[in-house]
Amino acid sequence: MLEGYLPVLMFIVVGLLVGSVAIMAGFVLGRRRPDPAKLSPYECGFEAFEDSRTKFDVRYYLVAILFIIFDLEIAFLFPWAVALHRIGVFGLAAMGLFLTILVVGFVYEWKRGALEWE
Amino acid sequence: MTFELFIFYLFAAVLVFAALRVVTVRNPVHAVLFLVLAFFSSAALWLLLEAEFLALVLVLVYVGAVMVLFLFVVMMLDINVAVLREGFTRYLPVGLLVGLAIVAEMGLVLVRYFVLPPGSAPKPVGPDFSNTRMLGDLLYTHYVYPFEIAAAILLVAIVAAIALTLRRRPGTKHQDPAAQIAVRRRDRVRLVRMDAEKKPE
Repeated sequence: MLEGYLPVLMFIVVGLLVGSVAIMAGFVLGRRRPDPAKLSPYECGFEAFEDSRTKFDVRYYLVAILFIIFDLEIAFLFPWAVALHRIGVFGLAAMGLFLTILVVGFVYEWKRGALEWE
Repeated sequence: MTFELFIFYLFAAVLVFAALRVVTVRNPVHAVLFLVLAFFSSAALWLLLEAEFLALVLVLVYVGAVMVLFLFVVMMLDINVAVLREGFTRYLPVGLLVGLAIVAEMGLVLVRYFVLPPGSAPKPVGPDFSNTRMLGDLLYTHYVYPFEIAAAILLVAIVAAIALTLRRRPGTKHQDPAAQIAVRRRDRVRLVRMDAEKKPE
């Protein structure tokens, strides 16, 4: 049954080839004349005066973690949808309870204003 | 079968290489990207083991969501590598202990695999077998109680994330689209009736 995944493998191989060939071609064919001026900051005239890695607002973290939680919820929905006609009303009720519990979290999130970006 | 074995060893080698680079590379952002590669190769291994749904969920959840979070965290922590190095010897005993525990667990799994009589491995299934459907049959009927507990754990995660990180910042200037839309003409425009001014003569 793994033959069905051969196109995926081909896709990976082609993707790797396209990516690496583009870089290698530039590396091999490009002409190289290193110069310290080429690596220096230009145009604005400032030397770098602070680290390029700055702190993010913690809000991005909140959005990402909420995204993960609802992503997991969706992952639970896939096998349920595939098997729904076999597990019948019981499966429907089980997923109903699951979604109800998560909707409680969603309502809390909404009412607390975690989705607002002020 | 030999081609499958070749693919297996290829992805396993990539996985081991990526996992080694995660702990040896200097730049933490690069370490996260190597972790992405490690997850991706283990997803390929799971696909070879005919656990398609788990493989795709690994890519969807870990590569798609968790690694984004890891990148945020790595960037947010403002990591100074020199400070991290200072505590190395202090944390070494704990790290060794955890490492030994993991090695022991993996050893147990391997020993069990070698002790088991050959031929007890699960047989390969036919092309019309759906892993996802099997999971669905069991998860929402036989394992319905753990499934609902998973919902409760996710709910706790939502509440905890909001309680820990949500901060109000009163002074910020931001648009309120609802207020912008709800505005009426009389809030903004005032018509003043006044006499025309006389022209100076």
